[in-house]
Amino acid sequence: MGVSPAPSPAGTAARRGHRARVAARARLDFWFDAVILVGYTIAYSYGWTGVVIHEWLGIGLGIALLLHLTLHWDWAVRTTRRLLRPRGHDKLIWLVNLALLFAMTLCVASGIAISRVALPELGLSTLQTPFWFRLHALTAEVTVGLVPVHVALRWRWIARIGRRLLAWRPARRPR
Amino acid sequence: MDRAHRPAAARLAPSAAAAVKFARQFAAAALVVTVVVLAGLAWSRANPSLPGEGPAGPARPVPGRAVRNWAVRGHLVLPPGVKPQPGGRPASGGPAGIVGNDGSGIPAMLPGDLLEPVNLAVLRHTAMLEAAIIAAVIIVDASYRRARRARRSKRGSPATPAGR
Repeated sequence: MGVSPAPSPAGTAARRGHRARVAARARLDFWFDAVILVGYTIAYSYGWTGVVIHEWLGIGLGIALLLHLTLHWDWAVRTTRRLLRPRGHDKLIWLVNLALLFAMTLCVASGIAISRVALPELGLSTLQTPFWFRLHALTAEVTVGLVPVHVALRWRWIARIGRRLLAWRPARRPR
Repeated sequence: MDRAHRPAAARLAPSAAAAVKFARQFAAAALVVTVVVLAGLAWSRANPSLPGEGPAGPARPVPGRAVRNWAVRGHLVLPPGVKPQPGGRPASGGPAGIVGNDGSGIPAMLPGDLLEPVNLAVLRHTAMLEAAIIAAVIIVDASYRRARRARRSKRGSPATPAGR
């Protein structure tokens, strides 16, 4: 075991700054993903929300998913490059995420195509063919199965960050 | 490249570099999403039928604001395939109106049923379904990892740490 030299104040500050940045990104990912999950669960419950909330929430989810994909773009590129390696840890997650990308994108797109309130409200006409209705129903069914798998495959990360973020910390009193 | 042979982005302030990176990744993500949407459009044009379903019918454009203020709560929803007769009205004392059902799996439009507590069972059902799938995947994943760790410890090699 080697003895590490005493950290300089600048080095300590930089390390602390780096840790804070990582924590900020993890916090953003955690809460943003939680909001998407809750939003998706509500949007899927069409019988409760009614058509107006369902459609506007669906459009919001489409935008949120684009941001989610952007925030995790590095992971997607890195994992895609590693796919050919024999021991790819993230292969299953990559496959689930790819299927989810297709299902969710088509779900939102078909939802926009059959919109009865949101797009007409904006003065836009929609194409209400049975194909888009069926595609919407089919992709919604696929998505409701894949979203929990997508979440559960990251349960260790969620548990680790959630434990840190949701842990009750008593406030320090100034002396 | 600048005089120090650094890429242009290296000269930018950290926040500006992060913004450029985000914009680049956002454009890439948008491109991927566009490709998937275009694939869906091509599917609808080339072979507009889905597994287990018949061919799709012709397009019906919906005029703007056609459904505004249309409260259909208390209406009678017809079985799939049954069309409401033009000018047909329900009997007095019955439902407030008649709503068609295209059998697509999409429930009839009920904008009057917004967030009714009686329909909370639908939300509960979705949450329960998601929770059940999450629990099942976690159990399978944890058992798989435990079995793999046990196998490795038998062989005497250290287990790899898990993380994101």
